[in-house]
Amino acid sequence: MTNTAIASPIHFEEVFSTKKGSIYQSDSENCWYIDFAGKLARFDYRNLLKLKKAVYNIDIENILLTSDKSADVEIIFICACDHCYVLSLIQIIALKELLQGTFVMLDLNHIIQDRLFRLVV
Amino acid sequence: MKDIIRVKSLLSTDVETLLNQQIKKEALSSSIYLSMASWCGRNGYDFSADYFFKQAEEERVHQLKFYKYVLDMGGMAISPEVTNIKLEYNSFREVFEEALDQEISVTQSIKNIAARCHKEQDYVTLEFLNWFFKEQREEEYKARRALELFDVIGEEGTGRWQIDKNVGQIVYTEG
Repeated sequence: MTNTAIASPIHFEEVFSTKKGSIYQSDSENCWYIDFAGKLARFDYRNLLKLKKAVYNIDIENILLTSDKSADVEIIFICACDHCYVLSLIQIIALKELLQGTFVMLDLNHIIQDRLFRLVV
Repeated sequence: MKDIIRVKSLLSTDVETLLNQQIKKEALSSSIYLSMASWCGRNGYDFSADYFFKQAEEERVHQLKFYKYVLDMGGMAISPEVTNIKLEYNSFREVFEEALDQEISVTQSIKNIAARCHKEQDYVTLEFLNWFFKEQREEEYKARRALELFDVIGEEGTGRWQIDKNVGQIVYTEG
């Protein structure tokens, strides 16, 4: 039997998920995978922060209250990132919820790491 | 699960945002001082103009110090946009009143960052800020002393000429 090289599978750990999507972390690649709006996109540290900033900066209330005839679609484009999202308002709210949950979980993970490993003598 | 965010940066998002605001504030200060130097130069107060040129340079150095710290700690330093710089002042005294106001606002804003650092137990940034606190002691003293000259010397007669001559000689010596 010949040895076939099989690329080691990437291990994902779920950070947070909602009904609309999930975010996974890959420790081996030091990045996150966002499963949202029908695609799985890879985000490194810088890009995840840029995505967070872009989504948090959207004034959802303002879009809800405007009565002009513009499409209720936002394009989230992140500089130097391969992905781009074109989202409806409902999706933006869902993505924001997903990101908020994710950052709470990442904060929690930071606290756990501190308590379990970094502060132990 | 790895703590990737902490591995990449020492600064929390909040502290990083505050530091970037401070970078902008220092840049603004520097530009305001430069504008004051221009006003003083235009109106014949050459010694004061020199004093403000020096202050502008100092603020620029402060800005870069913050800038480099954010970068070195893994954060994103943002080069600020500075607009709406005042060109005209009503009087010689008003220039110094605003200079003191500017220094007070810088001190308060650094105190605000320190308060946040205490809350987060970010003692690294806190230690970094100590240098600025010491610096502000001097900056506020100098600005306050300059304004005091208006009362001590008085603006009548050759008063303003005397004040202008003395502004450049203000030095702060720690007791």
